[in-house]
Amino acid sequence: MKERIGVYICHCGGNISDYVDVEKVRQAVQDDEGVVLAKTTVFACSDSNQTDMVNDIKEHNLDGVIVSSCSPKLHLTTFRDVTERGELNKYTYVHANIREQVSWAHSDDKIGATEKAIHVVKAAIAKSRYAKPLYPNQFEAEKTIAVIGAGIAGLKAAISLSDKNSNVVLIEKENRVGGHTATWGSLFMTDERGSELIDRIYSDLSQRENVFILTGSEVISSKGSIGNFTLKIRKKPQIAGDPVETMEINVGSIVVATGFEHYSPEEGEFAFAQNEAVITLPNFKQLVDESSGKVLEYNGKKIKNIAYVYCVGSRQTEGENKYCSRYCCTSVIHTAIETKKKFKGIQNIHLNRGIRTYGKQELLYAESLQMGDLYLQFNDDTPPEIRNEGKKTVVTVKDILSAGRELEMEVDLVVLVTGMVPRKDQSIGKMLKLPKGRDKFYNEVHMKLRPVETVIDGITIAGTCQGPKNISESVNSALSAATKSFSYVSKGTLETEPIVAEVDHEVCSWCGKCAEACPFDAIEKQEVNGKEVAVINTSVCKGCGMCTPVCPVDAIDLIGYTSEEMKSMIEVLA
Amino acid sequence: MKEPKIIEYDALVIGAGIAGGETALNLANTGYKVLLVEKDHSLGGKMILLSKVFPTLDCAACITTPKVSEIARHKNITVFTESEVTNISKESANNFVAQITKKPRYVHVDDCTACQLCEQACPVSVQDEYQYGLIGRKAAYIPFSIANPKAAVIDIENCTLCGACERVCPTQCIDFTMETEYYELHTKTVVLATGFTLFDPIEIPRYGYGRYKNVITSMQMEREIAPTRPYNTILRPGDGKVPDRIAYVLCAGSRDNTVGNPNCSQICCMYSIKQAQLLMGALPMADITIYYINIRSFGKGFEEFYQQAKSMGVEFVKGKIGEITEKDNGDLILRYEDINEGVVKEAEHDMAVLSVGVRSNPTIGKIFNNGALKFDPLNFVAQEDLMGSPSKTSIKGVFVAGTATGPMDIPDSILSAGSAASEAISYLTQHQEV
Repeated sequence: MKERIGVYICHCGGNISDYVDVEKVRQAVQDDEGVVLAKTTVFACSDSNQTDMVNDIKEHNLDGVIVSSCSPKLHLTTFRDVTERGELNKYTYVHANIREQVSWAHSDDKIGATEKAIHVVKAAIAKSRYAKPLYPNQFEAEKTIAVIGAGIAGLKAAISLSDKNSNVVLIEKENRVGGHTATWGSLFMTDERGSELIDRIYSDLSQRENVFILTGSEVISSKGSIGNFTLKIRKKPQIAGDPVETMEINVGSIVVATGFEHYSPEEGEFAFAQNEAVITLPNFKQLVDESSGKVLEYNGKKIKNIAYVYCVGSRQTEGENKYCSRYCCTSVIHTAIETKKKFKGIQNIHLNRGIRTYGKQELLYAESLQMGDLYLQFNDDTPPEIRNEGKKTVVTVKDILSAGRELEMEVDLVVLVTGMVPRKDQSIGKMLKLPKGRDKFYNEVHMKLRPVETVIDGITIAGTCQGPKNISESVNSALSAATKSFSYVSKGTLETEPIVAEVDHEVCSWCGKCAEACPFDAIEKQEVNGKEVAVINTSVCKGCGMCTPVCPVDAIDLIGYTSEEMKSMIEVLA
Repeated sequence: MKEPKIIEYDALVIGAGIAGGETALNLANTGYKVLLVEKDHSLGGKMILLSKVFPTLDCAACITTPKVSEIARHKNITVFTESEVTNISKESANNFVAQITKKPRYVHVDDCTACQLCEQACPVSVQDEYQYGLIGRKAAYIPFSIANPKAAVIDIENCTLCGACERVCPTQCIDFTMETEYYELHTKTVVLATGFTLFDPIEIPRYGYGRYKNVITSMQMEREIAPTRPYNTILRPGDGKVPDRIAYVLCAGSRDNTVGNPNCSQICCMYSIKQAQLLMGALPMADITIYYINIRSFGKGFEEFYQQAKSMGVEFVKGKIGEITEKDNGDLILRYEDINEGVVKEAEHDMAVLSVGVRSNPTIGKIFNNGALKFDPLNFVAQEDLMGSPSKTSIKGVFVAGTATGPMDIPDSILSAGSAASEAISYLTQHQEV
C-alpha cells in the first residue's frame, strides 16, 4: 500500500487549465489518503518540471507518482522514465488523462470538467495505492527483418537495412519489383525515368548477400509478435503446372510498404468508359511515354487540345476520399509540359480546383504558365461537364478565374487526374491488425512523435500505404521506417511490458472463453500438473484485458490492472 | 586565438531544431556518440516557439519539450549551445575535421537555477527576439520559459557591465571572465540540419510592415497564441485593442519573383488555417479572413483541416493583397482583386497577419572547403539524388535533414530527419574503422 504519493496536475499551457480549474483539483486531492504532495505545473513534460519531479521523489521520499495531464499515448513513457530516474519502479507510476478525456471533451462546461477531473485524479490515486513494482519480460529477438512490398519504398527500406548489416527478406506479390515507379517514364523534378530509377536501385540491391528477394510471393499468415514473428509465404509457381511453394520465415520486425492504387473512376464519372476520348492520368502518362513521332495520337486520332480535369477521386465533398492526393497536380503539370515539348501543336487546358505545386514544384507550374498552358478553375459544386456532339468531345466549365463565366471548348482528349487510394486488397493490414485512419490508409501512432510506427509493436509503415506521397517523400518515410525496425531488434534482445494477463491455474478449468476473446492469439490450452488450463504467451499478450471479464470463474487477472486496483478506482468514481 | 581543444565523436549534427534533434536521437539510440551543435541558447529550434501544430492541434511544446529533454539527457549526445561550426574539411572517407567556436554565455549553466533574480535586477531592456519583438526582455535573461538548458544568458552586446545581476545571483553562476572556446572535432559523418529563415516582409514596402504597427508577421501571431505568450491574450500591437477583424495575407514573400522567391513555401497555408482556427477559439466574436491565391492543404489530414476551418466560419477570399494602407485610428485597408467576382475591392481590418514564407539559411554556405557542398539556386542544400536518396548531399558522408533542403512541414521534416539518420548510420556501418 502506497503511503507517500505525489500528484502533479498539468495546465498543459492552457489546454487543460483553460477549461479545468487545476488549482481547485489540486486542493480537492491534496488531503486524500496517502497523498503527501500535490502540485500544479504549466508543462509537466518540460525538462525543468521533470527535474523537479525527480528531486521531489527523493526529497519527500515518495513511493507513488501520478501526473494528471494528456493522454497516456503521448507521455506515459516520459513519466515512467522520470519515476525511474527518481529510483522508483517505473510501473508504479499512474497516469491520469484530464486533457483528451476531460478538458477537450468538456470545453463547454468548465464546472463539470473540473468536477470530472477531480474524480479522474482521485481514481488514479486509488489505483496508485495498490500499484506494485513490475519488471519487464526479456527475451531474445530474431534480427532478420521482413519488408512487404517491393515498390520504391520497400526497395529503399531493404537497402537501408542491408547497409546496416541486417538480414532482410523482401516480399513482393507481383513477379517484378519496382511497383508503380517502374511503370513511369520521366519523373517530375529530376526527369530521370521511373524505370531507370528502379533499375539502379534494384541492381544495387540484388547483389547483396544479406537480402533475400521473394517475388511472386504473398504473405498468407502471420503469428507471433515483436522480436518473433512467423510469416507464412506462398510463392506462385513460375512455370504453369509447378506446385505452389509455401515457406515459413521468422523475423523480428516487419516493414509494411504495400503502396497505393490509382483511383479508378466509375463508369460515367466525367464520361469515363462512355466516351473513349476520356482517359486517366496513369494511362495518359503511359501514352505520352510510349508514343513517338511528331504528333500525339490516341485511338488513331490526332491529339492537339487536351483538357485535364483535376481532383478526380480526391477532395471529394461527398462520400469517401476527402483527402488531397498531393502528387497529382505536380505530376500532371510535368506530363503536360513533357507532352508539349515532345509533340507538335499541343494546347493544354487545366481544369483545376486550385493548383497545389507546393515547395520547389511551384517552378513547374510557373514553367507551364510560361509555355502557354491555360488554367481554368472550378468550384467543387460545379464540376466540368463532358459531352459528345457527334464525334466531337465538348467540355464546359464555370471558370472562377474569369468571374464565373461559363466556357465551352472542344477537345481531342480529356485526362482525368486521378489520385491515390488505399489498396483494395487489405489482407496484409487485416492479418497484422494495422489500424486505418479516416482516409482508410494505414495509420501511424503519432504523426510527429512516432510517424512510422504502428500500434502493433514491431511493425512499421513506409511509403504510400500510409497516405499519398511523392517518390522522395516515400523514400524518406521508408528510410525512417527501416531505421525504426532496425532499432527494435538490432540488439538481439527485447523487453516487453510486464502488463500482461495472469491465470490462476488453481481456479482455471479450461473452458476456452478467454482464448476466444483474445485478439492476439496469446492464450493456449496446455496441461499443467495434470490439468488442462489456459496459459498466456507473455511475449504476445498486449495486456488489453479482453480475457478478464469473460472468465466465468474469475481466474484471470491483468497485472498492473488487478481487480483490486480497478475496484478501488470504481469506488472513487461511483 | 587559443589552441583548439581536440574532441572526437562518431557524428556531428549541426542544428538542434526538430530535424537535428530527431537525427541526433536516432543516431544516439543506435549507439553512436553524437555532438549536436546549436548556435542559439536553447534546443528546439522554431518548433518549440510555436503554439499548436496542424493538422492535429497538438500543442507544439507538448511534443518538443519531452524530445528536447530526452536529447539533453541522452548519454550518447553532447550538446553545444551558443556554438557555430566555422569550417569542415574532409580528410578521408570517415574522417571529417570541424572547427567549432563556442561563445561564452557568461553563466555557468549547471549552477544556474533559473530563479530569474538576475533578470529582475538587470536595468537594461531590449527587444525580446524569442517573442519576435512583441515585448522586451532584459540583458540578463532566461531565453523563454521552456528553454533547454533552462538557464540565464548574459546578452553581452547590450550589457552595461553594471554588475547588478552578479550581486543578486544566489549561486554565483554569473561569470564575466568566460571566454570563447575553440574545438577541433574529428568525426566520421556530418548531418546538416540548419533549418530555414523566415522571410522579412520589410522587403515588400506596400504591405507596410515596420511602418504600420498592426501589420504583424505570422510568427508574431504564433507567439500571441502560444502558451508562453507575451500578453496572455490577443492584442494588436498599435493600441492594445483586442482585434475583431483579422486578415491573413498569404504568399507574403513566396511565389513572388519580385522578391526573388519563385518557390511556394509549403507551410503558410496550413499554419494560417491553424491560426485562424485557434483565433476563433480565443476570440469567438472575431471575423477571420484569409486572402489566398491557392490553398495548399496537401498532406495527411490537411484537406479535412481546411474544410473544418471553412465550416467553423473562417472566411476564405481568393485574391492576392496588392496594398495595405493605414487609417488614423490604426485600422488597415487591404486592397485586393476578388477573383471570384473579378473586381478590385477594399476591405477594412483591425489587424493584418503576413503569412511569411521560408528562406534558406545562409550560414552553412562557406563551412566546407572549396565549395564542395552544392546548393540549389535559392541557396538550399542541393539534394544529389532527390528520388533515390533525398538526404544525400554532394559530399559523401555529409547528409541533410529538414528544411535545409527547402520548405517542409513538421511531419515531413521528421521523416527527412529519419532518412538522414538512416543514411548516416548506414555510412558509419559501411565505413567502420579499418
